Amino acid sequence: MAQPLVKKDDDRDDEAEYSPFLGIEKGAVLQEARVFNDPQLDARRCSQVITKLLYLLNQGETFTKIEATEVFFSVTKLFQSRDIGLRRMVYLMIKELSPSADEVIIVTSSLMKDMNSRTDMYRANAIRVLCRITDGTLLTQIERYLKQAIVDKNPVVASAALVSGIHLLQTNPEIVKRWSNEVQEAVQSRAALVQFHALALLHQIRQNDRLAVSKLVTSLTKGTVRSPLAQCLLIRYTSQVIRESGVNTQTGDRPFYDYLEGCLRHKAEMVIFEAARAITVLSGVTTRELTPAITVLQLFLSSSKPVLRFAAVRTLNKVAMTHPMAVTNCNIDMESLISDQNRSIATLAITTLLKTGNESSVDRLMKQITNFMSDIADEFKIVVVDAIRSLCLKFPLKYRSLMNFLSNILREEGGFEYKKAIVDSIVILIRDIPDAKESGLLHLCEFIEDCEFTYLSTQILHFLGNEGPKTSDPSKYIRYIYNRVILENATVRASAVSTLAKFGAMIDSLKPRIFILLRRCLFDNDDEVRDRATLYLNTLGGDGSVVETDKDVKEFLFGSLDIPLTNMETSLKNYIQNPSEEPFDINSVPKEVKSQPLVEKKAPGKKPTGLGAPPTGPTSTADTYERILSSIPEFTSFGKLFKSSAPVELTEAETEYAVNVVKHIFDRHVVFQYNCTNTIPEQLLENVFVIVDASEAEEFSEVGSKPLKSLPYDTPGQTFVAFEKPEGVPAVGKFSNMLRFTVKEVDTSTGEAEDDGVEDEYQLEDFEVVAADYMVKVGVSNFRNAWESMGPDFERIDEYGLGPRESLAEAVSTVINLLGMQPCEGTEVVPSNSRSHSCLLSGLYIGNMKVLVRLSFGIDASKEVAMKLAVRSEDENVSDTIHDIVASG
Amino acid sequence: MLLAVLIANFEGNILVERFNGVPAEERLHWRSFLVKLGADNLKGVKNEELLVASHRSVYIVYTVLGDVSIFVVGKDEYDELALAEAIFVISSALKDVCGKPPTERLFLDKYGKICLCLDEIVWKGLLENTDKERIKRLVRLKPPTEF
Repeated sequence: MAQPLVKKDDDRDDEAEYSPFLGIEKGAVLQEARVFNDPQLDARRCSQVITKLLYLLNQGETFTKIEATEVFFSVTKLFQSRDIGLRRMVYLMIKELSPSADEVIIVTSSLMKDMNSRTDMYRANAIRVLCRITDGTLLTQIERYLKQAIVDKNPVVASAALVSGIHLLQTNPEIVKRWSNEVQEAVQSRAALVQFHALALLHQIRQNDRLAVSKLVTSLTKGTVRSPLAQCLLIRYTSQVIRESGVNTQTGDRPFYDYLEGCLRHKAEMVIFEAARAITVLSGVTTRELTPAITVLQLFLSSSKPVLRFAAVRTLNKVAMTHPMAVTNCNIDMESLISDQNRSIATLAITTLLKTGNESSVDRLMKQITNFMSDIADEFKIVVVDAIRSLCLKFPLKYRSLMNFLSNILREEGGFEYKKAIVDSIVILIRDIPDAKESGLLHLCEFIEDCEFTYLSTQILHFLGNEGPKTSDPSKYIRYIYNRVILENATVRASAVSTLAKFGAMIDSLKPRIFILLRRCLFDNDDEVRDRATLYLNTLGGDGSVVETDKDVKEFLFGSLDIPLTNMETSLKNYIQNPSEEPFDINSVPKEVKSQPLVEKKAPGKKPTGLGAPPTGPTSTADTYERILSSIPEFTSFGKLFKSSAPVELTEAETEYAVNVVKHIFDRHVVFQYNCTNTIPEQLLENVFVIVDASEAEEFSEVGSKPLKSLPYDTPGQTFVAFEKPEGVPAVGKFSNMLRFTVKEVDTSTGEAEDDGVEDEYQLEDFEVVAADYMVKVGVSNFRNAWESMGPDFERIDEYGLGPRESLAEAVSTVINLLGMQPCEGTEVVPSNSRSHSCLLSGLYIGNMKVLVRLSFGIDASKEVAMKLAVRSEDENVSDTIHDIVASG
Repeated sequence: MLLAVLIANFEGNILVERFNGVPAEERLHWRSFLVKLGADNLKGVKNEELLVASHRSVYIVYTVLGDVSIFVVGKDEYDELALAEAIFVISSALKDVCGKPPTERLFLDKYGKICLCLDEIVWKGLLENTDKERIKRLVRLKPPTEF
């Protein structure tokens, strides 16, 4: 270490030899702990033994149940000692041992006595220990004392009770909620920390009561907040209130903005940051509101303290996702951070620059990044790769340099996760940018020539099999694939055989040559490889047999297994457990998906992640939806699923039942999928369904529904309602919903539900089917080319006055959301202070009609916005419909 | 939540390890991750100079004090700035107990006191006390002076 040594080196060696814990061993220390039972307690010795026990525990050592019980019982004897230092150690030791419920009783009386002691510090510590080890019944007994303690004039006692309250709220909310009057009083305390803890607890108690939180914030923002920590909490709560209240439409003012702005001038850095962050996440934040926050963050970018630089660049990185133009002023400071010693800061700076950069700066940035990549760890490289992928999707014309960058780093050293991130990115670029396909596939081919990861090789081969045959010269990939058969391990060889077969199935001219290669595989020393080769030769007719129809072959080779894998696994396990003469029948596997898929819950709207997703384009979520819907016989006649919306929440957060709806659009039908979660452990819901009132959606008529048999605690389930609508018409309307079910009490200790249930219902929020639900976001790589090739035949142009708007950016995003189309070439971002803007949109309208839109906006001094809308599509009716949507929106 | 406080010596041996809300099976992973982070970055760092890192949605602030390195890990409201505050309190308390930036021996000699200080500073993942003078009194069961 660089700091000057306090002692000479040789002294240090001596010291190390005499470490008080040298050779410490659990068994011996437990033996020593018997000294706690001595009739004449030696306080000093006892403290030393406790220190040793703590040392063991702090090193991650664990005690068995018997050992812990024995130590705990001995430690309780130490309450007899009057030594203050020892008593403090005893409190800590009991907390560390966390005795079980049946043991706690031994110390309760001692602790209760301390809790009422005249010595304040005994009270504070006893509260902390009791609350750590207590259960519900004991808590009711001591509740009275805790309420007193919250308003105790000694701040340490009050803080102990308040922090205990925060912990207890998780386990015994109904008790802690009764303390709100006392906590309210403590919020006004003159002691800084008491106020901080009280504020945190009060907010937790009242977090679901918007009005109460709003009142709390209103009073405190006007009053005195005594510590920076409490101030930070207050800013967070204020931010929540702002989120829920919205902008004052008459004056255009945002409530509490002045308070946040004032906090930017606070003397504590922590508060400044919190305020700056709160401002940057305001919904629909304007440039005027954003500027002061960005200015303080920019100053911190050149701070000498890494923590502040990190905090600033992290916040700006987030702002860059939504308001890239607002951050461009910081680009110069940010560029100097690329060489920051701290790699986290450097990575954040790079990824921010990648977001804020314009098309012309891409090449310069890539040069800087290339130097930077060699000296950072894989985890940071992955972040950079992700950022480059987004950049490439934003500026598709730059795909060449970005794809080259990806292929270069693919050749360098790196671990599995890193390589996987690069491969995933290349795959996504191939899918989204048609021009990048051929070069991307070749990069992947070169990569598998020298790839040490079997998983990646097989995934790339699978992808190659699906995409390669569709290229202009598929034969050039065969060499790379067949090399795998010669050079790789059995798993990769088997994959390569499948890929060869796919080329054979798709391209007749290659078939004879593929047969030759597949026949060579018949002599492979691995049985899976031989079996696959035999199977494919047979299906494709390479062994001279009569082949199945072309459609069947393709279905077999390219189709996906339409059975959930978990169901398949369960069925196979059952089959093995109950041996039978009959062969396993795949049709016997249930197709119903049992629980809500994870992708849908955790990452709504997440982009497909490279190889993990199916190759033909739909997102993995869409694929899951399709599978769920196709498993329901009532809906199979609806045809192909056109679009599934993102989930729309129909309940507020933290309610008894959480429900959201996904709108599935078919040509003549819509299906509402209600994803329900029961958050009450003591309840089991059965026969769950939704009553939908479609009186405000005249063109829709209900044709069927599928109730959910059972909805246990915390296991999401789905119920469906289907409606018919006129074909090809973008019917819109509003739907009111009521959740109905039979509720049964559950004994949480046994998990068993009572036999009898009670019918009940639960009002859900309304939702609408809107025009944007009939549009799928599909980008184009080169808008101008796409526009020209679509031609002016069905072009419709018109002008609209959008009236006074908050800003140009707000008007642009409203129109984009109204149409539900994909913005192209980064044109959704409006530079600040600009008076006009052009935006390019692309999408696929129901009936699989391609639509392209050019929007030109202008804003005048009175904030009146005018818009010119030019639509080109494959059908004149569609072009007209787009105008209708805008006209009626 | 303040997920972890970890104090190690230069060789990467753990001296104190306190986790809150981290499942037992993940602790080993965190321990080795932090030790490696320290080994990679703490060389040549001055006493109490704060370093920062983030790993997924979790923040880590770490530093050197005498012969020991201190790491604090947090998420949500315990972001890099709150952690900087926590580590500042921890280092002040350590210096106070040991009388100077501690050598490893001194740290181990004062181990019991240090555990008590940490107990006053972080309680089950929440920052409880932040003033070193008060902490100094609390570990001796003395009421705070300002009261």
